[in-house]
Formats: sequence, C-alpha cells, structure tokens
Amino acid sequence: MLCEKCKKRQATIYYTEIVDGKKYEKHLCEKCALEYADFVYEAEDGSDNALLEGLLSSILGSYYKSSQPVKKEGREAVIQCERCGMTYDAFLQGGKFGCANCYSSFGKQLEKSFRQIHGATSHVGKRPKGFVSQTDRIIKDLSEVDRLSIRLQDAIEKEEFETAAALRDQIRALKAKEESQNV
Amino acid sequence: MYKWFEALGGNEDIVIASGVRLSRNLEKYPFSKKISDSDAIHMVEEVLKEFETYADEEFGYIECNLGELSEIEKFAMVERQILSKEIAVKKQCSGLVMSEDESTSILINEEDHLKIQALAGGANMQKAYEKANEVDDYASESLEMAFSEKYGYLTSSPSNVGTGLRASYLMFLPALGGANKINRLSEEVMKYGVGLKAVYGDGAEGVGHIYELYNEKTLGSTEPELLENLRGIMEQVAAQERKRREYLLANNYDEIEDQVFRSYGVLKYAKQMNSKDAMTLLSQIKFGADVGIIQFEKPLNIYKMIMEVQPYSLQCRSGKYVGSKVRDKLRAQYLGANLSEVIN
Ligand SMILES: [Zn+2]
Ligand SMILES: [Zn+2]
Repeated sequence: MLCEKCKKRQATIYYTEIVDGKKYEKHLCEKCALEYADFVYEAEDGSDNALLEGLLSSILGSYYKSSQPVKKEGREAVIQCERCGMTYDAFLQGGKFGCANCYSSFGKQLEKSFRQIHGATSHVGKRPKGFVSQTDRIIKDLSEVDRLSIRLQDAIEKEEFETAAALRDQIRALKAKEESQNV
Repeated sequence: MYKWFEALGGNEDIVIASGVRLSRNLEKYPFSKKISDSDAIHMVEEVLKEFETYADEEFGYIECNLGELSEIEKFAMVERQILSKEIAVKKQCSGLVMSEDESTSILINEEDHLKIQALAGGANMQKAYEKANEVDDYASESLEMAFSEKYGYLTSSPSNVGTGLRASYLMFLPALGGANKINRLSEEVMKYGVGLKAVYGDGAEGVGHIYELYNEKTLGSTEPELLENLRGIMEQVAAQERKRREYLLANNYDEIEDQVFRSYGVLKYAKQMNSKDAMTLLSQIKFGADVGIIQFEKPLNIYKMIMEVQPYSLQCRSGKYVGSKVRDKLRAQYLGANLSEVIN
C-alpha cells in the first residue's frame, strides 16, 4: 500500500481515529509519518487533540482568563447556565440548549458529545460578516514566533502537513536567528 | 406565479430537488426551549421588521405571523415542505417570510430563531446554497447572531451546531426502493456522515419512492466541503439507481411496461383514490416516463402532482374542510383532469 499523503513511498505506519464510533485509518510512509508524529504522537493518552488543545492553551493561556471555576472535590457539582437556568442534566435529557450562553457554561463536557455527533469539536466554516474573534485580537499583539506557532496548530488541525512542516521550519529558523543575536 | 417545483430543471429522472437550510439564533434572546411568550412576540416582530425592506426589494416576498393562517393552510405548507409539523402546531408566536414561488423561506421561532430555507429544482445545490447564504448575510447585517469562535453558529440542538447547514437532495429511487435496497444503502451512506430517509409514509422504503439524502454532520467542515461530500454521495446513489433500472428493464421489460400502463389507466379514470395509492401509481408512471416506456403529450411534473394530491393541499384548493371520502373523489378528479394524454 502506498502512503496516503505523498502517494510515492510505501506506507509503513498507520494512524487511527474514531469518528462516529467508526474507526478510520491513515496509512503513511515513515517520512510523512515523522512530520505527523512530530506533532501527534507525543500525546500520552494517544489522543491527538488533547495535545493540540494543550499546546494552544499554553500559547494562549496567559491571555485567557479561566472561564470556568475548577471544582475538583470528589462530589459532583451541578452545572447550570447562569443566563437561562438550564442545567447540564436537563440538557442531556432534552437534547436542546436553552441559550447561546449554555455552550460556554457546559464547556468541556460538550466536546465528547460533539465528537460523537460530528467527529469534530471546532467550527471551520462561515463566520458572520465583520466578526472579529478574540484570537484574532490576541494574535495581533503576538510575536512573530507565537503567530507562526498558532498557524502551525491550525495547519495540523486541518491536516495540512506540508504547510505545517514549512511553518515548523520557519519557526526553527527564527528561533535560531534570535538565539544567535542574543549571544 | 409558478412554484419552484413547477420549473423544470435538469436531472429530474433521479434528483427532484436540492435544498439548503441554515439554522441561526439571535444572540440576545434565549433559544426556543427557554424563550418566554413575550420575548417570542418581540423576537418575531424584530425579525419580520428586518425583512420588510428585503420583502420590498426582492419582488414578491410574503410576510406573516403564522397565527394568521388557518390549520388547513398551515398543514398544506407542511406537505409542501415549507413548514415543519412542529411549527404548524406551535402555540407560541411564530412567523414566516417567503418568496412567492416558495423557493426561499425563513421560519421564525421554530426550533431555532431563524430557519432559512432555499430550494432549487433538480440537482442544483449551488443555487440553493447561494440563495440561503445571501438571506443569511442580509439577516446578519443588522441582527447579531449567536456565534462562537470555537463552535461556530450556536443552535438549539447540538446536532446542528457549527455551520448550522443541512443540505438535502430530494431523490426519486423507484428501482432501489422496489428492490428493498434503501435500508442497506442508508447504512452505507451513514459511514460518510450522510443520512437517507423516506419523505412520505413510515418505514425505510416509504411511499412513492421519494427519499431525502442529507448531511448529518454540521461541525468541523466548511460549507463547501459538506456540500461537496454530499454531492459525491448523491452521484453514487444516482449511479446505483441507474444501474438497477437498467437491470430491471433488461430482465422484466414486459411486466414493467404492463404495470406502467395499468397504473396510468387507474390514475386517469378512477373515481376515488386515497393518497397512498395515488403516490404509488404516480411513482410508477414517473418511472415509466423517465425510462421512455410511456410518453406524454405534455411533459409531466410528477413531483408537483404528488404534492398537490396530499390531503391538506387538496382541501386548500377546494377552499373548505372536507372529510376523507370527499377528498378521495377530489383527488381522482384532479388526476383525471391533470394527467396528460399518452402519445405512444
Ligand atoms: Zn508519504
Ligand atoms: Zn443557557
């Protein structure tokens, strides 16, 4: 079998993902897998997204205020939307959100259901005209290296590995240049 | 003014129509599950007001509060796929903006605040998407939509979040349906995030062999990606239907020819007909016409006839509420008068 990415070399490694309870395999050659693995296989629990989110939040972490109170006591806290009063349990039973704010209120709990329904957790499609995202605003104030790092995350999420590899090289070059200047 | 389904496009032998639905909510009101009666009134008024100018500019837009329509009118619109049953029986204030040919409509305060729908005849998804998108852009110019950077357009149901896009092809699959292949096919397309279900009747095979093929996933892909994926599946389903048709004709031509002409005779000359029989027989002569077994003096739009023999649509035209016995007579009269003469 040929590598699905470069379609030239023999595929020796496969990467699996679960979408909608179905298993999909990606067959890659060693070279392509290395580019992939650089970013993906470091995840301890084998889930690529856990790593991506980790990287992204470490990049953006200092800019975002933690939006959710972290409750780590043994008991289960009742999760409720402040704006419309919908509880997370009622949402699970009825299958309908009460308002736009429910999405941020139920936060991380949603990712699992979204992954089950859509095989994805992030929107990549249309935005309302004139929508300026928080990330856009933050990116404006970032250094060149941080900006490239974010584009790198984006490329990985979209599985654009050639773009990702190019960005990674750019970041390395920039960092090397900075270091040599600091000497 | 013609309805959209009266304008013949291409590909009618298998793809009857293409439709796009965009689910949107206004940021400032709770979703339908939690919205109060008074907020619902304000929301519907606000959206209707917003579309007043649109209705003026775009020739022939109709605006109304659904409370102003009769039961029969509302259920006839359910049969024509404009309203959902849910909104037709809803007690809370709801509204409708619709183009005169019924190809474009906006339902206000259904499951989501705005349900933007656009339909095009034949396999013309791009046209339907562009229209829905244009209406969406118009609406978002002054109405702030519930949108998050991470999750995209926020909807009542988690199954619509992200793009809020549901694209569907209305497909005529008599050969696959007749061979009981729909169940297997729907399991097959599910693997690609696509659903397939009968439009009329219960069960997988349904009545009249008209099916809807639609994207189930709305998050994690762009709109063009979703449409392209669905188009690819549609073409494969259509190819399978064509293959099955060829097989049937090669092996059972005489039986099929006999059946098609019998069905025509019953449709044209019966005095009473229930809607299930009418749809089954219409489906058979559409198949006969599509493959060239039967030829009509005038081109026949079977889908239009299927819509018009539905119970509420019949009553709507007759202008009064009538029982099923009278409807069966009205249906037979309609078919006798509207079925074109055979010329072969
Ligand atoms: Zn390769
Ligand atoms: Zn809420």
